[in-house]
Amino acid sequence: MLYALSTVLLAAEEAEETGNIGLVLPESYELVAGIIAFGIVFFFVWKWAFPAIDKMLEDRQRAIKGQMEDAEAAKAEAQSLLDDYRKQLAEAKSQAAGIINEAREAAEAMKSDIVAKAQTESAQIGTKARADAATERDRALASARVEVANLSIDLAERVVGENLDRAAQLGLVERYLADLERMSD
Amino acid sequence: MVEQMILASECDVANEVICAPADVKELFELPTIFYIGDIAITRTIILIFLAAFIVIALLYFGLRKGSVIPSKFQAVVESLVQFVRKDVAEDIIGPEGVRYAPYLTAMFLFLLVGNLFEITPLINFPITSRMAIPAFLAIVTWLIFVIVGFYKNGFSYFLDIVWPKSVPIGLRWLVGLIELFSVFLLRPLTLAVRLFANLVAGHLMLTLLLGSGAIFIWNFADAGAKSLVGVAWFAFGLGIYLFEIVVAVLQAYIFTLLSAVYIQSSVHPEH
Repeated sequence: MLYALSTVLLAAEEAEETGNIGLVLPESYELVAGIIAFGIVFFFVWKWAFPAIDKMLEDRQRAIKGQMEDAEAAKAEAQSLLDDYRKQLAEAKSQAAGIINEAREAAEAMKSDIVAKAQTESAQIGTKARADAATERDRALASARVEVANLSIDLAERVVGENLDRAAQLGLVERYLADLERMSD
Repeated sequence: MVEQMILASECDVANEVICAPADVKELFELPTIFYIGDIAITRTIILIFLAAFIVIALLYFGLRKGSVIPSKFQAVVESLVQFVRKDVAEDIIGPEGVRYAPYLTAMFLFLLVGNLFEITPLINFPITSRMAIPAFLAIVTWLIFVIVGFYKNGFSYFLDIVWPKSVPIGLRWLVGLIELFSVFLLRPLTLAVRLFANLVAGHLMLTLLLGSGAIFIWNFADAGAKSLVGVAWFAFGLGIYLFEIVVAVLQAYIFTLLSAVYIQSSVHPEH
Protein backbone atom coordinates (compact mmCIF):
# COMPACT_ATOMS: atom_id res chain seq x y z
CA MET A 1 0.00 0.00 0.00
CA LEU A 2 2.80 2.38 0.92
CA TYR A 3 4.44 1.61 -2.37
CA ALA A 4 1.23 2.30 -4.21
CA LEU A 5 0.85 5.61 -2.40
CA SER A 6 4.43 6.66 -3.06
CA THR A 7 3.98 5.82 -6.72
CA VAL A 8 0.89 7.94 -6.82
CA LEU A 9 2.63 10.77 -5.04
CA LEU A 10 5.53 10.53 -7.45
CA ALA A 11 3.10 10.66 -10.33
CA ALA A 12 1.41 13.67 -8.77
CA GLU A 13 4.78 15.38 -8.31
CA GLU A 14 5.66 14.69 -11.89
CA ALA A 15 2.40 16.25 -12.91
CA GLU A 16 3.18 19.36 -10.92
CA GLU A 17 6.70 19.51 -12.31
CA THR A 18 5.27 19.64 -15.77
CA GLY A 19 3.18 22.59 -14.62
CA ASN A 20 -0.08 20.75 -14.36
CA ILE A 21 -1.86 22.47 -11.51
CA GLY A 22 -4.96 22.12 -13.64
CA LEU A 23 -6.00 19.03 -11.70
CA VAL A 24 -7.08 21.07 -8.69
CA LEU A 25 -8.65 23.91 -10.66
CA PRO A 26 -12.12 23.61 -12.11
CA GLU A 27 -12.20 23.10 -15.83
CA SER A 28 -14.47 25.68 -17.44
CA TYR A 29 -16.63 23.40 -19.59
CA GLU A 30 -17.09 21.00 -16.70
CA LEU A 31 -18.02 23.95 -14.48
CA VAL A 32 -20.67 25.06 -16.96
CA ALA A 33 -21.94 21.48 -17.30
CA GLY A 34 -22.03 21.14 -13.51
CA ILE A 35 -23.94 24.40 -13.09
CA ILE A 36 -26.50 23.44 -15.73
CA ALA A 37 -26.88 19.86 -14.46
CA PHE A 38 -27.19 20.90 -10.84
CA GLY A 39 -29.56 23.69 -11.82
CA ILE A 40 -31.84 21.18 -13.50
CA VAL A 41 -31.73 18.88 -10.47
CA PHE A 42 -32.37 21.77 -8.09
CA PHE A 43 -35.26 23.06 -10.15
CA PHE A 44 -36.80 19.60 -10.35
CA VAL A 45 -36.46 19.02 -6.61
CA TRP A 46 -37.84 22.47 -5.82
CA LYS A 47 -40.75 22.59 -8.26
CA TRP A 48 -41.75 18.96 -8.63
CA ALA A 49 -40.34 16.56 -6.03
CA PHE A 50 -41.13 18.59 -2.92
CA PRO A 51 -44.70 19.48 -3.92
CA ALA A 52 -45.24 15.83 -4.91
CA ILE A 53 -43.95 14.54 -1.60
CA ASP A 54 -45.92 17.17 0.34
CA LYS A 55 -49.13 16.26 -1.41
CA MET A 56 -48.50 12.60 -0.74
CA LEU A 57 -47.77 13.23 2.93
CA GLU A 58 -50.95 15.28 3.26
CA ASP A 59 -52.95 12.50 1.59
CA ARG A 60 -51.40 10.00 3.92
CA GLN A 61 -52.09 12.19 6.93
CA ARG A 62 -55.70 12.59 5.87
CA ALA A 63 -56.10 8.87 5.23
CA ILE A 64 -54.65 7.96 8.60
CA LYS A 65 -56.75 10.59 10.33
CA GLY A 66 -59.90 9.33 8.59
CA GLN A 67 -59.10 5.76 9.49
CA MET A 68 -58.48 6.70 13.08
CA GLU A 69 -61.75 8.60 13.26
CA ASP A 70 -63.58 5.63 11.75
CA ALA A 71 -61.94 3.35 14.25
CA GLU A 72 -62.89 5.73 17.04
CA ALA A 73 -66.53 5.78 15.90
CA ALA A 74 -66.61 2.01 15.56
CA LYS A 75 -65.12 1.70 19.02
CA ALA A 76 -67.73 4.04 20.51
CA GLU A 77 -70.49 2.09 18.79
CA ALA A 78 -69.14 -1.18 20.03
CA GLN A 79 -68.92 0.27 23.52
CA SER A 80 -72.54 1.43 23.48
CA LEU A 81 -73.63 -1.96 22.13
CA LEU A 82 -71.68 -3.66 24.86
CA ASP A 83 -73.28 -1.41 27.47
CA ASP A 84 -76.71 -2.23 26.05
CA TYR A 85 -76.01 -5.93 26.17
CA ARG A 86 -74.71 -5.68 29.68
CA LYS A 87 -77.81 -3.82 30.77
CA GLN A 88 -80.06 -6.34 29.05
CA LEU A 89 -78.13 -9.19 30.60
CA ALA A 90 -78.45 -7.68 34.05
CA GLU A 91 -82.17 -7.16 33.52
CA ALA A 92 -82.62 -10.72 32.33
CA LYS A 93 -80.66 -11.96 35.32
CA SER A 94 -82.76 -10.01 37.80
CA GLN A 95 -85.93 -11.14 36.03
CA ALA A 96 -84.83 -14.76 36.21
CA ALA A 97 -84.02 -14.35 39.88
CA GLY A 98 -87.50 -12.86 40.43
CA ILE A 99 -89.15 -15.71 38.59
CA ILE A 100 -87.21 -18.27 40.57
CA ASN A 101 -88.12 -16.55 43.80
CA GLU A 102 -91.77 -16.42 42.87
CA ALA A 103 -91.74 -20.07 41.91
CA ARG A 104 -90.01 -20.96 45.14
CA GLU A 105 -92.57 -19.00 47.13
CA ALA A 106 -95.43 -20.58 45.21
CA ALA A 107 -93.99 -24.01 45.79
CA GLU A 108 -93.53 -23.27 49.49
CA ALA A 109 -97.14 -22.08 49.74
CA MET A 110 -98.42 -25.09 47.86
CA LYS A 111 -96.39 -27.40 50.01
CA SER A 112 -97.66 -25.95 53.27
CA ASP A 113 -101.18 -25.95 51.83
CA ILE A 114 -100.97 -29.62 50.96
CA VAL A 115 -99.47 -30.49 54.32
CA ALA A 116 -102.17 -28.57 56.16
CA LYS A 117 -104.92 -30.18 54.07
CA ALA A 118 -103.46 -33.61 54.65
CA GLN A 119 -103.26 -32.96 58.35
CA THR A 120 -106.92 -31.83 58.52
CA GLU A 121 -108.00 -34.76 56.43
CA SER A 122 -106.13 -37.25 58.56
CA ALA A 123 -107.59 -35.66 61.67
CA GLN A 124 -111.09 -35.88 60.18
CA ILE A 125 -110.55 -39.49 59.19
CA GLY A 126 -109.33 -40.30 62.69
CA THR A 127 -112.31 -38.62 64.31
CA LYS A 128 -114.75 -40.32 61.98
CA ALA A 129 -113.10 -43.68 62.55
CA ARG A 130 -113.27 -43.20 66.28
CA ALA A 131 -116.96 -42.16 66.06
CA ASP A 132 -117.77 -45.14 63.83
CA ALA A 133 -115.98 -47.49 66.19
CA ALA A 134 -117.87 -46.09 69.16
CA THR A 135 -121.24 -46.43 67.38
CA GLU A 136 -120.41 -49.96 66.33
CA ARG A 137 -119.40 -50.87 69.86
CA ASP A 138 -122.55 -49.34 71.28
CA ARG A 139 -124.62 -51.22 68.75
CA ALA A 140 -122.78 -54.47 69.42
CA LEU A 141 -123.06 -53.88 73.11
CA ALA A 142 -126.85 -53.25 72.85
CA SER A 143 -127.46 -56.35 70.75
CA ALA A 144 -125.23 -58.42 73.06
CA ARG A 145 -127.20 -57.15 76.04
CA VAL A 146 -130.51 -58.28 74.53
CA GLU A 147 -128.97 -61.59 73.51
CA VAL A 148 -127.47 -62.13 76.98
CA ALA A 149 -130.84 -61.34 78.63
CA ASN A 150 -132.75 -63.74 76.37
CA LEU A 151 -130.15 -66.45 76.88
CA SER A 152 -130.27 -65.91 80.64
CA ILE A 153 -134.09 -66.19 80.66
CA ASP A 154 -133.99 -69.31 78.42
CA LEU A 155 -131.40 -70.81 80.69
CA ALA A 156 -133.44 -69.91 83.75
CA GLU A 157 -136.68 -71.36 82.20
CA ARG A 158 -134.84 -74.62 81.48
CA VAL A 159 -133.64 -74.70 85.03
CA VAL A 160 -136.99 -73.81 86.55
CA GLY A 161 -138.98 -75.77 83.97
CA GLU A 162 -141.68 -73.22 83.34
CA ASN A 163 -142.30 -70.06 81.51
CA LEU A 164 -141.21 -67.09 83.35
CA ASP A 165 -142.73 -63.66 83.15
CA ARG A 166 -140.50 -62.59 80.35
CA ALA A 167 -141.06 -58.88 80.83
CA ALA A 168 -140.31 -58.91 84.51
CA GLN A 169 -137.29 -61.12 83.97
CA LEU A 170 -135.95 -58.89 81.20
CA GLY A 171 -136.18 -55.90 83.49
CA LEU A 172 -134.24 -57.82 86.10
CA VAL A 173 -131.49 -58.75 83.65
CA GLU A 174 -131.35 -55.28 82.35
CA ARG A 175 -130.89 -53.88 85.80
CA TYR A 176 -128.20 -56.43 86.54
CA LEU A 177 -126.30 -55.64 83.36
CA ALA A 178 -126.56 -51.94 84.07
CA ASP A 179 -125.13 -52.57 87.51
CA LEU A 180 -122.31 -54.56 85.92
CA GLU A 181 -121.64 -51.79 83.50
CA ARG A 182 -121.49 -49.28 86.34
CA MET A 183 -119.09 -51.46 88.23
CA SER A 184 -116.86 -52.04 85.23
CA ASP A 185 -116.74 -48.32 84.47
CA MET B 1 -12.29 0.79 -18.53
CA VAL B 2 -10.67 3.71 -20.26
CA GLU B 3 -8.13 4.12 -17.48
CA GLN B 4 -7.23 0.47 -17.64
CA MET B 5 -6.59 0.73 -21.36
CA ILE B 6 -4.32 3.70 -20.77
CA LEU B 7 -2.53 1.81 -18.03
CA ALA B 8 -2.13 -1.30 -20.15
CA SER B 9 -0.60 0.57 -23.02
CA GLU B 10 2.07 2.07 -20.80
CA CYS B 11 2.63 -0.65 -18.27
CA ASP B 12 5.77 -2.77 -18.58
CA VAL B 13 4.71 -5.77 -16.53
CA ALA B 14 8.16 -7.29 -16.61
CA ASN B 15 9.85 -4.35 -14.86
CA GLU B 16 7.17 -2.51 -12.89
CA VAL B 17 5.65 -3.55 -9.58
CA ILE B 18 2.57 -1.43 -10.02
CA CYS B 19 1.17 0.21 -13.13
CA ALA B 20 0.83 3.98 -12.87
CA PRO B 21 0.45 6.47 -15.68
CA ALA B 22 3.33 8.84 -16.25
CA ASP B 23 0.96 11.74 -15.73
CA VAL B 24 -1.70 11.37 -13.07
CA LYS B 25 -3.95 13.72 -15.03
CA GLU B 26 -4.60 10.89 -17.43
CA LEU B 27 -6.78 9.31 -14.76
CA PHE B 28 -8.93 12.41 -14.41
CA GLU B 29 -9.05 14.13 -17.76
CA LEU B 30 -11.24 11.86 -19.75
CA PRO B 31 -11.31 11.73 -23.55
CA THR B 32 -13.62 13.83 -25.68
CA ILE B 33 -16.56 11.85 -26.98
CA PHE B 34 -17.91 14.38 -29.48
CA TYR B 35 -17.99 18.07 -30.28
CA ILE B 36 -20.84 20.57 -30.20
CA GLY B 37 -19.45 23.38 -32.37
CA ASP B 38 -16.09 24.11 -30.77
CA ILE B 39 -17.07 22.70 -27.39
CA ALA B 40 -15.44 19.38 -26.58
CA ILE B 41 -17.96 17.15 -24.85
CA THR B 42 -15.79 14.91 -22.69
CA ARG B 43 -16.87 11.74 -20.91
CA THR B 44 -16.86 13.77 -17.67
CA ILE B 45 -19.42 16.23 -19.05
CA ILE B 46 -21.64 13.38 -20.18
CA LEU B 47 -21.33 11.79 -16.73
CA ILE B 48 -22.28 15.08 -15.06
CA PHE B 49 -25.51 15.19 -17.06
CA LEU B 50 -26.02 11.47 -16.48
CA ALA B 51 -25.84 12.09 -12.73
CA ALA B 52 -28.48 14.80 -13.01
CA PHE B 53 -30.61 12.52 -15.14
CA ILE B 54 -30.34 9.66 -12.64
CA VAL B 55 -31.33 11.91 -9.74
CA ILE B 56 -34.35 13.20 -11.63
CA ALA B 57 -35.34 9.71 -12.79
CA LEU B 58 -35.01 8.40 -9.24
CA LEU B 59 -37.25 11.15 -7.90
CA TYR B 60 -39.68 10.95 -10.78
CA PHE B 61 -40.22 7.19 -10.68
CA GLY B 62 -40.11 7.13 -6.91
CA LEU B 63 -42.66 9.86 -6.32
CA ARG B 64 -44.72 9.77 -9.52
CA LYS B 65 -47.56 7.68 -8.12
CA GLY B 66 -47.52 9.31 -4.72
CA SER B 67 -49.34 6.38 -3.19
CA VAL B 68 -50.67 6.67 0.32
CA ILE B 69 -49.31 3.19 0.93
CA PRO B 70 -45.87 3.39 -0.70
CA SER B 71 -44.15 0.67 -2.69
CA LYS B 72 -40.69 -0.33 -1.50
CA PHE B 73 -39.02 1.88 -4.10
CA GLN B 74 -41.23 4.82 -3.23
CA ALA B 75 -40.49 4.32 0.47
CA VAL B 76 -36.75 4.39 -0.22
CA VAL B 77 -36.91 7.56 -2.35
CA GLU B 78 -39.24 9.18 0.15
CA SER B 79 -37.01 8.44 3.11
CA LEU B 80 -33.97 9.68 1.16
CA VAL B 81 -35.63 13.03 0.46
CA GLN B 82 -37.21 13.30 3.90
CA PHE B 83 -33.86 12.49 5.49
CA VAL B 84 -32.28 15.63 4.01
CA ARG B 85 -35.40 17.73 4.57
CA LYS B 86 -36.07 16.78 8.16
CA ASP B 87 -32.87 15.38 9.62
CA VAL B 88 -30.50 17.82 7.93
CA ALA B 89 -32.33 20.97 6.85
CA GLU B 90 -34.93 21.35 9.59
CA ASP B 91 -33.07 19.75 12.47
CA ILE B 92 -29.93 21.82 11.95
CA ILE B 93 -31.21 25.12 10.58
CA GLY B 94 -34.53 25.07 12.44
CA PRO B 95 -37.99 25.97 11.09
CA GLU B 96 -36.38 28.25 8.50
CA GLY B 97 -34.54 25.25 7.14
CA VAL B 98 -37.57 24.58 4.93
CA ARG B 99 -36.39 27.35 2.61
CA TYR B 100 -32.99 25.77 2.09
CA ALA B 101 -34.25 22.19 1.93
CA PRO B 102 -34.61 22.06 -1.89
CA TYR B 103 -31.00 23.23 -2.32
CA LEU B 104 -29.67 20.81 0.29
CA THR B 105 -31.71 17.90 -1.06
CA ALA B 106 -30.66 18.52 -4.65
CA MET B 107 -27.06 18.85 -3.46
CA PHE B 108 -27.11 15.64 -1.45
CA LEU B 109 -28.68 13.54 -4.19
CA PHE B 110 -26.48 14.99 -6.94
CA LEU B 111 -23.31 14.46 -4.88
CA LEU B 112 -24.44 11.00 -3.81
CA VAL B 113 -24.94 9.84 -7.38
CA GLY B 114 -21.81 11.67 -8.53
CA ASN B 115 -19.74 10.05 -5.79
CA LEU B 116 -21.21 6.60 -6.33
CA PHE B 117 -20.11 6.81 -9.97
CA GLU B 118 -16.69 6.04 -8.51
CA ILE B 119 -17.71 2.47 -7.80
CA THR B 120 -20.41 2.04 -10.43
CA PRO B 121 -19.31 -0.63 -12.89
CA LEU B 122 -18.73 0.66 -16.45
CA ILE B 123 -18.66 4.24 -15.18
CA ASN B 124 -15.88 4.00 -12.57
CA PHE B 125 -15.35 7.72 -12.40
CA PRO B 126 -16.63 10.06 -9.67
CA ILE B 127 -17.58 13.38 -11.26
CA THR B 128 -16.85 14.95 -7.87
CA SER B 129 -13.17 14.15 -8.35
CA ARG B 130 -13.18 17.05 -10.79
CA MET B 131 -12.96 20.36 -8.95
CA ALA B 132 -15.79 21.93 -10.96
CA ILE B 133 -18.64 20.43 -8.95
CA PRO B 134 -17.25 20.68 -5.40
CA ALA B 135 -16.09 24.22 -6.14
CA PHE B 136 -19.39 25.30 -7.64
CA LEU B 137 -21.47 23.89 -4.76
CA ALA B 138 -19.07 25.26 -2.14
CA ILE B 139 -19.34 28.71 -3.71
CA VAL B 140 -23.15 28.50 -3.80
CA THR B 141 -23.19 27.52 -0.11
CA TRP B 142 -20.77 30.36 0.62
CA LEU B 143 -22.95 32.85 -1.24
CA ILE B 144 -26.06 31.64 0.59
CA PHE B 145 -24.61 31.89 4.07
CA VAL B 146 -22.92 35.23 3.46
CA ILE B 147 -26.00 36.81 1.86
CA VAL B 148 -28.35 35.35 4.48
CA GLY B 149 -25.99 36.49 7.22
CA PHE B 150 -26.02 40.09 6.04
CA TYR B 151 -29.71 40.00 5.14
CA LYS B 152 -30.80 38.68 8.54
CA ASN B 153 -28.40 40.56 10.78
CA GLY B 154 -27.26 43.55 8.77
CA PHE B 155 -23.70 44.70 9.21
CA SER B 156 -23.60 43.27 12.76
CA TYR B 157 -23.17 39.84 11.11
CA PHE B 158 -19.73 40.94 9.94
CA LEU B 159 -18.94 42.82 13.17
CA ASP B 160 -19.80 39.83 15.35
CA ILE B 161 -17.35 37.74 13.37
CA VAL B 162 -14.40 40.17 13.40
CA TRP B 163 -15.13 41.59 16.88
CA PRO B 164 -16.63 38.68 18.89
CA LYS B 165 -18.01 40.10 22.16
CA SER B 166 -17.91 36.78 23.98
CA VAL B 167 -14.09 36.80 23.79
CA PRO B 168 -11.91 38.76 26.30
CA ILE B 169 -11.03 42.15 24.84
CA GLY B 170 -7.29 41.44 24.67
CA LEU B 171 -7.76 38.45 22.43
CA ARG B 172 -10.72 39.79 20.51
CA TRP B 173 -8.77 41.13 17.54
CA LEU B 174 -6.87 37.85 17.18
CA VAL B 175 -9.95 35.63 17.36
CA GLY B 176 -11.71 38.06 15.03
CA LEU B 177 -8.91 37.76 12.52
CA ILE B 178 -8.95 33.97 12.72
CA GLU B 179 -12.73 33.93 12.40
CA LEU B 180 -12.68 36.30 9.42
CA PHE B 181 -10.18 34.06 7.71
CA SER B 182 -12.03 30.90 8.71
CA VAL B 183 -15.59 31.93 7.83
CA PHE B 184 -15.03 33.70 4.56
CA LEU B 185 -12.07 31.84 3.13
CA LEU B 186 -11.47 28.49 4.79
CA ARG B 187 -15.10 27.35 4.94
CA PRO B 188 -15.70 27.23 1.18
CA LEU B 189 -12.16 26.06 0.50
CA THR B 190 -12.23 23.15 2.98
CA LEU B 191 -15.75 22.24 1.93
CA ALA B 192 -14.70 21.89 -1.71
CA VAL B 193 -11.28 20.35 -1.09
CA ARG B 194 -12.55 17.76 1.41
CA LEU B 195 -14.95 16.30 -1.14
CA PHE B 196 -12.61 16.69 -4.10
CA ALA B 197 -9.57 15.18 -2.35
CA ASN B 198 -11.50 12.22 -0.94
CA LEU B 199 -12.85 11.27 -4.32
CA VAL B 200 -9.52 11.88 -6.11
CA ALA B 201 -7.77 9.62 -3.60
CA GLY B 202 -10.44 6.96 -3.87
CA HIS B 203 -10.39 7.00 -7.65
CA LEU B 204 -6.59 6.82 -7.71
CA MET B 205 -6.48 3.89 -5.34
CA LEU B 206 -9.16 1.98 -7.19
CA THR B 207 -7.77 2.52 -10.69
CA LEU B 208 -4.18 1.80 -9.68
CA LEU B 209 -4.91 -1.27 -7.57
CA LEU B 210 -7.67 -2.85 -9.61
CA GLY B 211 -6.07 -1.75 -12.90
CA SER B 212 -2.61 -3.03 -11.97
CA GLY B 213 -4.06 -6.20 -10.53
CA ALA B 214 -6.04 -6.89 -13.67
CA ILE B 215 -3.06 -6.15 -15.96
CA PHE B 216 -0.65 -8.30 -13.99
CA ILE B 217 -3.08 -11.20 -13.88
CA TRP B 218 -4.05 -10.79 -17.55
CA ASN B 219 -0.44 -10.64 -18.76
CA PHE B 220 0.74 -13.51 -16.60
CA ALA B 221 2.85 -14.79 -19.48
CA ASP B 222 5.08 -11.68 -19.36
CA ALA B 223 4.72 -11.02 -15.66
CA GLY B 224 5.46 -14.56 -14.49
CA ALA B 225 5.47 -14.88 -10.71
CA LYS B 226 4.56 -11.21 -10.53
CA SER B 227 0.99 -12.06 -11.44
CA LEU B 228 0.73 -13.13 -7.77
CA VAL B 229 1.46 -9.49 -6.92
CA GLY B 230 -1.38 -8.68 -9.25
CA VAL B 231 -3.68 -10.93 -7.24
CA ALA B 232 -2.62 -9.08 -4.09
CA TRP B 233 -3.24 -5.67 -5.73
CA PHE B 234 -6.61 -6.82 -6.95
CA ALA B 235 -7.68 -8.21 -3.56
CA PHE B 236 -6.52 -5.04 -1.87
CA GLY B 237 -8.41 -3.02 -4.48
CA LEU B 238 -11.60 -4.93 -3.72
CA GLY B 239 -11.20 -4.02 -0.03
CA ILE B 240 -10.77 -0.37 -0.96
CA TYR B 241 -13.79 -0.71 -3.26
CA LEU B 242 -16.02 -1.61 -0.31
CA PHE B 243 -14.48 1.18 1.72
CA GLU B 244 -15.14 3.67 -1.08
CA ILE B 245 -18.87 2.88 -0.98
CA VAL B 246 -18.86 4.24 2.57
CA VAL B 247 -16.70 7.20 1.56
CA ALA B 248 -19.01 8.10 -1.32
CA VAL B 249 -22.10 8.19 0.89
CA LEU B 250 -20.32 9.81 3.80
CA GLN B 251 -18.75 12.61 1.77
CA ALA B 252 -22.07 13.52 0.16
CA TYR B 253 -23.60 13.60 3.64
CA ILE B 254 -20.76 15.65 5.16
CA PHE B 255 -20.86 18.22 2.37
CA THR B 256 -24.62 18.64 2.82
CA LEU B 257 -24.41 18.63 6.61
CA LEU B 258 -21.68 21.29 6.71
CA SER B 259 -23.56 23.44 4.20
CA ALA B 260 -26.56 23.27 6.54
CA VAL B 261 -24.39 24.10 9.56
CA TYR B 262 -22.88 27.12 7.77
CA ILE B 263 -26.31 28.38 6.73
CA GLN B 264 -27.55 27.86 10.28
CA SER B 265 -24.69 29.96 11.64
CA SER B 266 -25.94 32.86 9.47
CA VAL B 267 -29.63 32.38 10.26
CA HIS B 268 -28.95 32.28 14.00
CA PRO B 269 -25.44 33.73 14.44
CA GLU B 270 -25.76 33.83 18.25
CA HIS B 271 -25.49 30.03 18.38
